[in-house]
Amino acid sequence: MPTTTATITLATSDMADNSFSVSNTSTLYNAGNDTGISETTGLGRKKVASASNVVLLDGGLTSGIAADVTADKSAKVYIKNHNLRGDGSKFVNILLAAVEIGRLYGGDWMFIPWCAASGKDIEFTASDATETTLEYTCFYE
Amino acid sequence: MATTTATITLSSADLLSDNLSLSATMNMYQHNTTATGLDEMRYHRLVIPTGTQFDLIQDSTALSEDASYVYIVNKNTDVTDYVKISINAEEIGRLYAGDWLFMPWDNDLTDEASVTDQTGNDSSIEIEAFTHEHIIEFALFHNGETLQTSADS
Repeated sequence: MPTTTATITLATSDMADNSFSVSNTSTLYNAGNDTGISETTGLGRKKVASASNVVLLDGGLTSGIAADVTADKSAKVYIKNHNLRGDGSKFVNILLAAVEIGRLYGGDWMFIPWCAASGKDIEFTASDATETTLEYTCFYE
Repeated sequence: MATTTATITLSSADLLSDNLSLSATMNMYQHNTTATGLDEMRYHRLVIPTGTQFDLIQDSTALSEDASYVYIVNKNTDVTDYVKISINAEEIGRLYAGDWLFMPWDNDLTDEASVTDQTGNDSSIEIEAFTHEHIIEFALFHNGETLQTSADS
């Protein structure tokens, strides 16, 4: 089975009296065992020029390329806002179903597990109608 | 203001027909600023018992409508162990042993800024452990905090 890893490093040299750095590498396994995740949606790129709500990843599909991304399994989602940061007033709200998780400003990324049950779509809403470009991928079993 | 970076690398030599290697680095900036870094953080390590959903990171008015970022890692090693991470009763997903997440957090809904508030229609980040108790580490990078008045002041 494939071996896919996700590594994060958080670092600051001036937030506290001493430098702070934490790093972790996770191997992406199927739920409850050490078999590597073997499927992915591939890397996607989506442009939207609207402040309306948009479904990025549709949970609980019964057909189509992401149909096997289902609840109680081990799906991982990466999303990056490819816009420039600008003055920091523009962002996209990332939502799970109708619940807002947080804001991705230009250049920000996120990596989360995803309970991809029916209705648990990952959605986004841009803070204004200027063009927003998101890059995303989902690894799943 | 502080400069704090978050870097992710996703890689696999055998998931696809060619190597997968994706890397991204971001700075954690305050809302409505060009490049002013967040200058507050918490880092916790704690044991989560099974059977109860807890507020891992409590909502607060000071964290609302701003840029905050959350990192959570499951330090257990048994591959059957997992925690459910939720927000406002919506399960985000399961962190299995060794898994981590990094996400923005807006604290969109705040019903009560209290360290004892573990219920309600709020944006607290919730956690529930399954199979065994879990060792969890989490970090919150933020801008502002609602401080609690000392009860015996």
